[in-house]
Amino acid sequence: MIELRDIKKIYQLGGEEVHALDGVSLVIEDREFVAVVGASGSGKSTLMNIIGCLDTPDEGAYFIDGQDVSDLSEHDQSIMRNRKIGFIFQQFNLLPKLTAYENVELPLIYQGVSSAERKERVTEALKRVGLENRMWHRPNQLSGGQQQRVAVARALVTRPALILADEPTGNLDSHSTGEIMELLKELHRAGNTLVLITHDDEIASEAPRRVRLFDGKVVADMRSDARKADGSSGTDFDGNAVADRNMKAAPAPVMRSGPGGGSPGGGSAGTVSGPGEESFIPEEDPEEVTDGR
Amino acid sequence: MKVSQAGKMALSAILSNKLRSFLTMLGIIIGVMAVTLLISIVQGASNTVTGQLDDLGGDQLIVQIINPTKRLTLSEVEALAEEEGVAYVSPTLGGNGTARAFGNSMDVSVSGITGSYKDVQGLDLESGRVITQTDNDYRLSVCVIGRKVATELFGTTACIGKNLRLNGKDYRIAGVLTEQVQTAVEDPNATVYIPLTNAQRLLSEVNVSLFYVAVEEEADMDAVKALLDRKLLAKYDDEDDYLIVNMADVIDIIDTIMGTLELLLAAIAGISLVVGGIGIMNIMLVSVTERTREIGIRKAIGAQRGDIIVQFMIESVILSLFGGIIGMAVSQAVLTTVNILHPGYNFAISFNTGAVALGFSILVGLVFGIYPAAKAAGLKPINALRYE
Repeated sequence: MIELRDIKKIYQLGGEEVHALDGVSLVIEDREFVAVVGASGSGKSTLMNIIGCLDTPDEGAYFIDGQDVSDLSEHDQSIMRNRKIGFIFQQFNLLPKLTAYENVELPLIYQGVSSAERKERVTEALKRVGLENRMWHRPNQLSGGQQQRVAVARALVTRPALILADEPTGNLDSHSTGEIMELLKELHRAGNTLVLITHDDEIASEAPRRVRLFDGKVVADMRSDARKADGSSGTDFDGNAVADRNMKAAPAPVMRSGPGGGSPGGGSAGTVSGPGEESFIPEEDPEEVTDGR
Repeated sequence: MKVSQAGKMALSAILSNKLRSFLTMLGIIIGVMAVTLLISIVQGASNTVTGQLDDLGGDQLIVQIINPTKRLTLSEVEALAEEEGVAYVSPTLGGNGTARAFGNSMDVSVSGITGSYKDVQGLDLESGRVITQTDNDYRLSVCVIGRKVATELFGTTACIGKNLRLNGKDYRIAGVLTEQVQTAVEDPNATVYIPLTNAQRLLSEVNVSLFYVAVEEEADMDAVKALLDRKLLAKYDDEDDYLIVNMADVIDIIDTIMGTLELLLAAIAGISLVVGGIGIMNIMLVSVTERTREIGIRKAIGAQRGDIIVQFMIESVILSLFGGIIGMAVSQAVLTTVNILHPGYNFAISFNTGAVALGFSILVGLVFGIYPAAKAAGLKPINALRYE
């Protein structure tokens, strides 16, 4: 289980304070599959960095499995990343000179796992993503979808508390996107905790729970019925509560007028920058709310 | 993470860009080559020179009469052989001449010697015999010639019993020397040795200006030297008129000079090693920048500061160590080639030289690897992952 309590992160940009995260609180239970959705500048990258122990919050507390990690040293952060978190990146981020097998093996090497156990676990992880025949291929000998599957294997080989996927399908064609999403859902069904960060609502809709970020704040937290179909252990009460909060917290016109009308020329990192990105919020929100019910 | 794993990573990084790795190593290769070659050549030359001097007689004194007006007669010199502690006295009379035979001619050194010369100087004969006391007693016109004299005049070393004409006088060849080491002072290969009594006439010089004294026991060297000093001072009244040189002292002096030279050259060559080290640091820094993303990925999936430091340090040490090994191998190849081309020398990299050169290359790798490694380890994973 991971828990964020009133997390704040403030950047100084040209003498101006940008509240990348402005009091985010979030609880993600074990075995949950949560999509964090938001436009660029909504703070989702900052949130991912903090959830992934790549960065520390300025304020607030962050617990992984009950352990406060919001104030860790760089050294302890890296241990946390290694033991508790499996990363899946948009750019795959495989080491180009290593084979698929070696890429998956790497986090275990840093953990100091014995070579016999490494062999077993790496093979198992690659089998799980269906790449047992591509173990000795280098990334440039694999398709984008296959590379991302290697990255998924690398993320799950350490048996992390949380798999953190940052726009995992952002660089993939629609076919591979479908493959990776299937794989992620399968991992979820198999009992992994997944946090998927995306700007794409279609991708996000695959997740039973969706958290929407806007201007560094959680503006919606929605659970769909699909969750029950998955056999997860949610209750109606939770779902309703979330939906209620969602309705209160997401008055679409306010969100729209804030960044869009406020500063036309000042498009700093903390504000939504394109009209296309703004527009999807009011369009999609009502659907989601009904979904939530 | 184990060091062996870090070593594997470092090795694969080095092998993945072979040309660059080689060029990086080149600085160290040249540095180590310079150090080992220079030191080995100085050591080899030093050993050769002192060895030659030792062959000439580490256990002998050289007496030179400087005042030309008051020289010692042959009988006076030979009388010194009777003194306590003196094994042999070998007077010589040196000069230059032209040797001719079969229409060939050659400028040679002429050395008038007595029967004891061989005992003192230890010349090796290829064939024939040495100059004896009898040759001296009868002033026979016989000679022992150096190898080069034989080959230049006769085209062969098989010339015993043939005659050569030295400054217009015929000499029968009694012996030919083996190939001798040429020294700064003399070249036995281009020398014609004749009986001293005969040389007195040929060179129109009666008195002995130079003679060698061999002692019975090396420990007596100083006592014999003091004895000679007393005798000569009594005769000349002026210690500037003669010079007594102890060969062992000369060898010591040469050893000291060579030792200093060795240190100096090693220091100069050491500078090139440092330059090579800076080359490594330069490339490692470029490599850190290039591999920012790789470092970010490694850190994101759990590599700690120490892991990254160890990986980069090992990379830099492997580069410098391999450079050192290659440099030594090339040096040894060069020295072996020199040894083959010049049989008189025996150059080799001594164990100490090798150990110091390799130790220094490892040190260079460590010192110049620290900064790039620390820079790599200090990269923040969020920034490093965003790096394109």
